[in-house]
Amino acid sequence: MFWCHPIGWRNRRLPQTQDVKMRSFLPAVAEQLFRDIQKTYQETSKIPDDLLIALKFVFGPCALQALDLVDHRSVTCLTSPSGRKAFQVKGASGRLYTCFVSCHYCPCPAFAYTVLRRDEGLLCKHILAIYLCQALGLTQQESVSDQHMSALLGGSAAVDT
Amino acid sequence: MADILTLTLSTLMSEPGLKRSTSPSSSSTLLVGGRGISRSLLLLAAVTAASELRVRVVFFTRTQIQSLPAPLQKRLPNQSPEGLKKITFCYPRTVEELLQQVASLHDSPPPSLIVVDRLEDFLCAPGLHPGERSCAAHLSALLCDTAAFLTQVLEQRPSGSAPCRILASYHSELDPGPAEADDCPTDPVLDVLDRYFQIRCTLDQDRGYGAAAAGLQELWHIYVSGGEATAWEDGPGGAQDWQLLVSPSGSIEFKVVCKHHCRSTHQAHDLSPQ
Repeated sequence: MFWCHPIGWRNRRLPQTQDVKMRSFLPAVAEQLFRDIQKTYQETSKIPDDLLIALKFVFGPCALQALDLVDHRSVTCLTSPSGRKAFQVKGASGRLYTCFVSCHYCPCPAFAYTVLRRDEGLLCKHILAIYLCQALGLTQQESVSDQHMSALLGGSAAVDT
Repeated sequence: MADILTLTLSTLMSEPGLKRSTSPSSSSTLLVGGRGISRSLLLLAAVTAASELRVRVVFFTRTQIQSLPAPLQKRLPNQSPEGLKKITFCYPRTVEELLQQVASLHDSPPPSLIVVDRLEDFLCAPGLHPGERSCAAHLSALLCDTAAFLTQVLEQRPSGSAPCRILASYHSELDPGPAEADDCPTDPVLDVLDRYFQIRCTLDQDRGYGAAAAGLQELWHIYVSGGEATAWEDGPGGAQDWQLLVSPSGSIEFKVVCKHHCRSTHQAHDLSPQ
């Protein structure tokens, strides 16, 4: 479990920029990988094969599924008038998954089974897609009302398809 | 250790020795075990935060608080009524209501302390077993994310009431006791809570002869573990053990004990900072 009791939790602050960044609770190798992907993509608009192989090596089969979500621009950063932010990821089935800005959680079955129950993975494809979209600058932006943000965070919002 | 809990315990001390630190520290602390005593500690922490630090507190509990614990009643005459007004009590009946009320905190005056009493009442309710891990993760993540956001809001204000902290209690039915072994069944909900809460304070009741011999009603040992447990230091090397002593009158006293006195009997649970 690399991201329980994360080092540096209280010292990290959310960026004040519009493009909010999820706090990383990943091992150093994964953080470096995202930095390399970000740098290379900014220079070439491509992710070279060696970094894709590294991504698959670190995150396993969900890497390809996450890249598919990135291709479909499935990650949106929601902002409400209060300033509260959250990520929303549109799954392959069209279901929307609300994820938090400051810690790892996803309501998808894979997160519940692989991460929480089996403790076999760091994250699910939806959270990985958030990291990738932020590294690549491909996160969509959307505004919602405070009430809608509360409903999304609390899990009581209707599931859109 | 969490600053507000440290301050709360220091007010219960009969002897000097523990630093009354209120500097921003860990933002999330989980009290594990001690179903009876933990509520008293949470209420004391809420009152301490509201009256001494003069910050807003939101206190979530499923069961109505019919009467204040004895140690709190004794301290109330010394408390400022204005300070106590800073505590808002909320009584969600289900975990869904609790989630919704926590999720709405960003749309109201920001508290500096969010207290959740008896998480097990919400997470271990009958019929909730399927998906209980995911539910515990959702609630924990929402609490942490809310505290992170409210800390940002509070930091932009001149009141100096940042950060926003989380203080919650959980009592597991699968109490491993002090002689916890690797093959003991683990509580799946507690396993998830440990992922999100930075500090765990395990309350372990001493059922030996020592408490009775000292004329105490209850004697509790406090074991601190987590990322910033070492922040709660006192004396050279921070080599202390912590105890809560409950007298027959119901009053609570906090005591710092040199660790080497109890090391032989509590070595298995010795999670205190080295």
